[in-house]
Amino acid sequence: MNIVEIDHVTKTFGTHKAVDDLSLSVPEGCIYGFIGPNGSGKSTTLRMIMRIYYPDVGSGDILVLGQNARGAANDLIGYLPEERGLYKKMKVKDALRFYAEIQGLRDYKNPVKAWLERMNLSDWADKKIETLSKGMAQKIQFISAVIAKPKLVILDEPFSGLDPVNMDVLREVVLDLRREGSTIIFSTHDMSVAEKMCDYIFMIFKGKKVLDGTLDTIKDKYGQDTILAALPDYHGKLNDLNGIENVTDLGHMQELRITPGTDSQAILTDLMKRGRVAHFELSRPSLHDIFVRIAGPEAQVSQEPSTLEEVHHA
Amino acid sequence: MRKTFVVAMREYQAAVRTKTFIITLVLMPIMMGGGVGMQLLLHDKVDTTDKHIAVVDLTGQLYIPLSSAATERNEKGIFVEEEGETKQIKPRYLIEQETPVSDNRDEMIFALSERVRNEEIFGFVIIEPDAINNSDPNPMRHAMSYYSNSPTYDDILRWIDDPINEAIQVSRMKTANLDAAIVMKATQKHRMANLGLVEKDEDGKITKAQQTNELANIIVPLGMMMLMFMTIMIGATPLVHSVLEEKMQRISEVLLGSVPPFQLMMGKLLGMVGVSMTIGTIYLVGSAVAVHFAGYGEMFPSHIVWWFLIFQALAVLMFGSLFIAVGAAVSDLKEAQNVMTPMTLVMIVPMFVWINVVKEPTSSFSTVLSLIPPFTPMLMTIRQAVPPGVPTWQPLLGVVLMLITTVGCVFVAGRIFRIGILMQGKAPSIREAMSWIVRG
Repeated sequence: MNIVEIDHVTKTFGTHKAVDDLSLSVPEGCIYGFIGPNGSGKSTTLRMIMRIYYPDVGSGDILVLGQNARGAANDLIGYLPEERGLYKKMKVKDALRFYAEIQGLRDYKNPVKAWLERMNLSDWADKKIETLSKGMAQKIQFISAVIAKPKLVILDEPFSGLDPVNMDVLREVVLDLRREGSTIIFSTHDMSVAEKMCDYIFMIFKGKKVLDGTLDTIKDKYGQDTILAALPDYHGKLNDLNGIENVTDLGHMQELRITPGTDSQAILTDLMKRGRVAHFELSRPSLHDIFVRIAGPEAQVSQEPSTLEEVHHA
Repeated sequence: MRKTFVVAMREYQAAVRTKTFIITLVLMPIMMGGGVGMQLLLHDKVDTTDKHIAVVDLTGQLYIPLSSAATERNEKGIFVEEEGETKQIKPRYLIEQETPVSDNRDEMIFALSERVRNEEIFGFVIIEPDAINNSDPNPMRHAMSYYSNSPTYDDILRWIDDPINEAIQVSRMKTANLDAAIVMKATQKHRMANLGLVEKDEDGKITKAQQTNELANIIVPLGMMMLMFMTIMIGATPLVHSVLEEKMQRISEVLLGSVPPFQLMMGKLLGMVGVSMTIGTIYLVGSAVAVHFAGYGEMFPSHIVWWFLIFQALAVLMFGSLFIAVGAAVSDLKEAQNVMTPMTLVMIVPMFVWINVVKEPTSSFSTVLSLIPPFTPMLMTIRQAVPPGVPTWQPLLGVVLMLITTVGCVFVAGRIFRIGILMQGKAPSIREAMSWIVRG
């Protein structure tokens, strides 16, 4: 069963089409990652799923949990908005209690305590929100989104601005939520997080869907057109190599995109002329590279995103 | 419904737990009580320095009676007995005769003016030569004039008229061969007592008419109106900031995920109605107790307390919903202030007309104005507080009209709120706001 079903939906603000004829299905019990450049329509799509925004009149419909009731605030959906909002003057536990109650959770005492413990915030239960650091406030906001055990959790940029320790904590929690049967949709700018966590990835660019599927199907579509190479002694640039379209400097490693039809052995030979090759691997492009190919400035000129074939998951 | 209640409770607690609320609660009575206290304290701190008044009596007959009247006043009229002590509470008036030295009248007046400026005398009086004989009632021609450099200090002016006129009358009667004592007796005036109406009690006995206390008849309605104004302001105005804050901090986005917009708005409104009622009740009970212990228990308008609370709740709903709409439609405090100014003006209209309403509570002007919904809470309260009050159908009609208006306001506000609360950036134009209301 699909928990979210978006069917040819368009959303216009004034003359700007924020979301353009979008269709998407989110199966139950998965983690679905939304990626895309800033302003491409991620948050608008999430807000439409939340029914904070309605699709344009005359465009398609959105079914959430099998319903399309307009404006029905739903206790089965938890939401973490992109810009965090908490009552500054409220105490942490009062705020969580309030959010639990408006989501219809009556027995809030134990969940509040358990969640604060889990997020290492027990000592802060009686402090006011305004005294919390940004990261702590973000964790509180996260708790407020999931405290009522929603079936569907929508997280807009949940990991932005968190330190690695807190990021791990939150990631664990998200994975646990899925294990417990929730479906999670989150947007992120961090491609490695998306690669590591998501069962499905959806990319939106200029309001249109440009990628949709499992990581494997997406990568397969681009084939083994990428070389990961390490030349520890060579510090020059590699952009001038024959048969290379693009170079992404990963620090210790260079990610080279091969021009279609080029022999990778010829590239290896060229590389060896530059210096000692410590690592040479023929691979599929990283999600990061795919993202940049679609949304990068040169891609916008040479390749219209809408011409990319959509990759559907089964 | 439960969610509305949860939102209302949060709103109530958030407002009641603030320092501002507690300060308002404590400070208001202190300030009001302080005002009265200051007056009591300053009651004794009156000016008792002697006032020298020069009199140019061009009739040659009036100075002596005036001077003896002043002496009598200085001896008897300026003291009070307080705890066995005699205390002077008014200044002595020291009359001195000024003989005109120069034939030039203007020069004389100038010279006397200079003496006032040099603070040798407080003021001076000129009595024209024909003051006794001329009884021409032409108001433009003054037979007596008082000059001073203290135009707002009118105690002397009010006192000095009577003794001079009395002396003039005595003099005229003498000329006409009338016995002054007889005439005085014949023309003696009485004062009218100001009384309320009498009623029959349970035993069929006719009650004694209450002496009407004019001061109380103004202060009580005024006090009730001010209390109404204050509780409405405390209940309604914070909603602009609260909605604006939730909008700017994107709290509303989270809330709307769980609570439908209308329920969210109603929750906020009801929370503030609660805050306003809390303050209203505390003040009403407080003043009832206070007047009871001060011995004026019968002056407390207990018969209109329920009406007061009903009007207050409706007013907070009515104005509060409009303020919520403002908070949702604008995107910063400055814009909010701009929109709120005309609304606040409407709210304070009763402040400009209350004195007319107190004086003539049953005039058609007062009746009609008090039935216009935005003015009803304050003006109807005033009219009810002035004895004998108004027929019951009037506040009832007021409530009905307010209810209709309030439902309209809440409906309109609900539509603006639903769209505005998630809009960021520029505030909508009037036209856009109208289209939100119409299209929903």
